[in-house]
Amino acid sequence: MDSWVRFTAQSQAKERVIRAAQYACTLLGYTLQKGGAAAELRKTISQLEAHMSLTRKLLRLGNSVEALEAAKRAIHLSDSVLRLCLTISHLNRAMYFACDNVVWAGKTGLISKLDQHKWSQRSFRYYLFALILNLTRDVYELRLLMECEARYRAAKSPPSPYPGTTLADDHLSSPVPPATVALPVMSVWLRRQLHLLVTVLYSNPPLLLDLLKNSCDIFIPLDRLGIYPTGSGFVGACGLASSVLSILTMVHPWLKLKP
Amino acid sequence: MDAVVKFTSQSQGRDRIFRAAQYACALSKYLLRNNSDRKDLVAKLKSLETNMSAGRKLFRLGNAINSIEAAKRTMQLSDRVLCLCLTVANINRALYFICDNVLWARSVGLIRDIDKERWSLNASRCYFLSLVMNLTRDVYVVLQLMMQRARDKHFRQKMDQHISECPEVAEVVIPQLDAFLFLLLESLKSHPAVALDTLKNICDLFIPLDRLGIYQSNAGVVGFCGLISSLIGIVTLVQPKLRIKP
Repeated sequence: MDSWVRFTAQSQAKERVIRAAQYACTLLGYTLQKGGAAAELRKTISQLEAHMSLTRKLLRLGNSVEALEAAKRAIHLSDSVLRLCLTISHLNRAMYFACDNVVWAGKTGLISKLDQHKWSQRSFRYYLFALILNLTRDVYELRLLMECEARYRAAKSPPSPYPGTTLADDHLSSPVPPATVALPVMSVWLRRQLHLLVTVLYSNPPLLLDLLKNSCDIFIPLDRLGIYPTGSGFVGACGLASSVLSILTMVHPWLKLKP
Repeated sequence: MDAVVKFTSQSQGRDRIFRAAQYACALSKYLLRNNSDRKDLVAKLKSLETNMSAGRKLFRLGNAINSIEAAKRTMQLSDRVLCLCLTVANINRALYFICDNVLWARSVGLIRDIDKERWSLNASRCYFLSLVMNLTRDVYVVLQLMMQRARDKHFRQKMDQHISECPEVAEVVIPQLDAFLFLLLESLKSHPAVALDTLKNICDLFIPLDRLGIYQSNAGVVGFCGLISSLIGIVTLVQPKLRIKP
């Protein structure tokens, strides 16, 4: 119980739990619809989902400031690609929160005559840009780590008699027609890259979690904006998975990708 | 900016800001109730207040556990009066949160056939009891401080000086009352945490007193008291020195 108290002392932790519950409701609503459950139960679940969504919007009221502070910190990073990706991602998140606050004001009646759909779409667009930039950062870090790992492996393996030769070259040194060589060469290269990828991801759980989280998250704005509609069931499952991963990184801070 | 971010990153910080905003809306609604050309604004304030109240109920869903943990901690205090007051206060707060959670489930439609009014009154009763116990603890702490001060020779000199200085205040009729008030005010001035906690509990007390019908004030008084107690809550969270311990 003590760990629950410490966990819920952060407002972000509570917000994530509510997010997980919200997307669980989305998923539940979809399964109930498919299973042909009573209309009243479905109505209760959808009302609960709407209530949680509105409450989360209320909870997010000050988050633009937080995102701007994070952007200010990201400007001082040494790596230029990371600096660019993270700063613009945080700025997009700040814009997403600002639009989200406007949608909240419209839903609670503070601003009358607001085009809620337009502002909602706007907020999802900014959210999508932020996620794309986060994924770019993840791929960049992955690339760096894979190159590092490849160099480490090359240094570890015994040096070949012909410096600079690879497995592919050994194949080429024998008298075989080039067309029949290309496919096995490709598959060997692919297998090696996949092996590198799996090794790197396995030894870097923060990167793996962040990559999974962003990949799950990206389906939400893609569906809402109509770019790649997947349906409420898949969106609910992705939202739930990414919320659970996010809660995991908060319970174990070492699993959070830094910076 | 950094301090604001740090403050709002705590659940309690956010909740207190929303509480302050909720009671500010209630107060403004009361003040504007007779203003016919502000009916639009009053409707918006009402909607905002309802939304904040509903959002806070969801946000509070796990707080019973926090209160039970606090009760477990206060059971180990050495001072028996403090131990009793604070443990009973925390248990009542936990019961209040449980009633509040049931009311949330009812408002969302998860539970259907419960008597909303009865549960709401029970929640107010538990909240009232916890505030009474907190005030008892405040009074106990203040009395202890006053006794400590009264024994202090330096302070007694100061008090004698004060009484002899203003003969028109220290009426020959009630010099003891003046001495008592002086002692009380000096004790409170030297321990602002106790003074703030007492004021906060007194302000908070008007809310269940009105709800339970024990002392019916009006929505304006309730709104004002709620706002003051929320602001004091925010101040004690920002400045941990001003928070009463334990």
